[in-house]
Amino acid sequence: MESKVITLSDAVSLIEDGQTLALGGNSFSRMPSSFVREIARQKKRKLSLVKTAGGYDIDLLCFAEAVSEVIAGYVGFENVFGLCPSFRRSVESGIVKVREHACATVIAGLRASSFGIPSQPIAGLQGSDVPKMTGFEKTSDPYTGKEIFMIPSITPDWAIIHVPYADKYGNARIDGGVFEDILMTRASTQVILTTEQIQETSFFQENPAKTKIPSFLVKAVVQIEQGAFPMSCYPFYDLDEEVIKKYFIQSKSNNQLEEHLASLVNIDYGQKNS
Amino acid sequence: MKKVQNPQVSLETKEIADRMVVFLAREIKDCQTVFHGVSSILPMVAIALARLTNAPNITYLNIPGGVDPTPSKLPSTTVGIQLMEGNRSFFSLSEIFDLSARGKLDLAFLSGAEIDSYGNVNLSFIGECEKPKIKFPGGAGSAMLLPTANRVVLWRTVHTKKTFPRHCSFITASGNVETIVTPLCIFKKTKGKLFLYSKHYGVDVNHLIKSTGFDIGNIDNCPDTIEPRSEELIALHKADPLGIRYREFD
Repeated sequence: MESKVITLSDAVSLIEDGQTLALGGNSFSRMPSSFVREIARQKKRKLSLVKTAGGYDIDLLCFAEAVSEVIAGYVGFENVFGLCPSFRRSVESGIVKVREHACATVIAGLRASSFGIPSQPIAGLQGSDVPKMTGFEKTSDPYTGKEIFMIPSITPDWAIIHVPYADKYGNARIDGGVFEDILMTRASTQVILTTEQIQETSFFQENPAKTKIPSFLVKAVVQIEQGAFPMSCYPFYDLDEEVIKKYFIQSKSNNQLEEHLASLVNIDYGQKNS
Repeated sequence: MKKVQNPQVSLETKEIADRMVVFLAREIKDCQTVFHGVSSILPMVAIALARLTNAPNITYLNIPGGVDPTPSKLPSTTVGIQLMEGNRSFFSLSEIFDLSARGKLDLAFLSGAEIDSYGNVNLSFIGECEKPKIKFPGGAGSAMLLPTANRVVLWRTVHTKKTFPRHCSFITASGNVETIVTPLCIFKKTKGKLFLYSKHYGVDVNHLIKSTGFDIGNIDNCPDTIEPRSEELIALHKADPLGIRYREFD
């Protein structure tokens, strides 16, 4: 078996303008932050982003004018900082189109793709304006006649997942919250992993049931220690509120994107501060 | 001594936050399955409080997926890695939605940028959908959970005509809302409409009327919400010694 380890720059070069990316992690947790920053540096355009609950990742890509569409249930900085400034600005000016979803409908769409079917029935949504706006159709169950919403399949071109542990072939294990990451690797056409640590394959052989991402699904592996920074990555580090706060102010004032990207280049390219 | 996280919050605001957490905790019934989602600091603290007081045997579910975590300190975000501590099992977010879908989620805490007189919530936007005047963060779990969870308790830390309009300008979610806790009062929903259940001690009636975008009915006989008891406040400080709850107000 050949190693799939490549550089961050080469991995991001695989992404083409106009493609759809599912981004792993959730809210302030374990998102592929370094990968997202490199997308911004490489000035990708017209991307569609898929996520249940995003924040820094989606906001930064809006800040970098890399996004045309967001498919998500929630985009924000929680109560800690509030709404995402660049995301908001891009949506309110009509540059970025939001396909309004519930987190559960994003999951249903990814499940449909994972199951190899065109749509997925889902409980709930009664009384909501979301189905009409986003175009979720109702159907009646053929056995009971019960009315049910059907969520169309979501098949991202890429799942981009930051994990704590992977081997060089792409076997990966996530300790802590997995969110929709495992589902994303099944629903997407291809998978790129960024990983805190490259472990020997024996690490995974000792406990294969914990290896929820098998190598055969994975196209490329990039090692980036602190690749989720300034978000948290269990079990290694918590979020860095100071850095997030600084980013938030930069995003809000709609300038200094380059400064933000430059300030974290050492993490992203694995060059230790000297 | 550890620094309190938000010393800039006024005493009055602290009292409101403490009250709201206590009132939310009282909504939790023991031995039930209880969930809070993203951006939900007050429910997170309320659950921690209820586990020390009226509901020690609940099943506590959250987005990171650890069942019944026992964090050594509450995180400042509701997906904090501290929620990994003490878990004996995992139950992911998609499994929590499935649990709700099959009628087994007893209580979900949710909020809304707008909450209207029917208990509908708007977390999506105001204005035209293609180019909204204000884009809110999105409904997260609410469109699925409001109709499927057995009970929904809403909270909102700002009570104005804008946050409590007669009609939401967009309905992100609608469903089994039972109780709404605000800084001024508690609403309950019966027969599809909200009514004033109690107003908090010291709240001026005219202020409450002026701050609400819909008719709240006959206010004369409205009782005061039972003030937090000393044992509840003692437990609250034990559950949240760093004052994470104040972060929803700064």
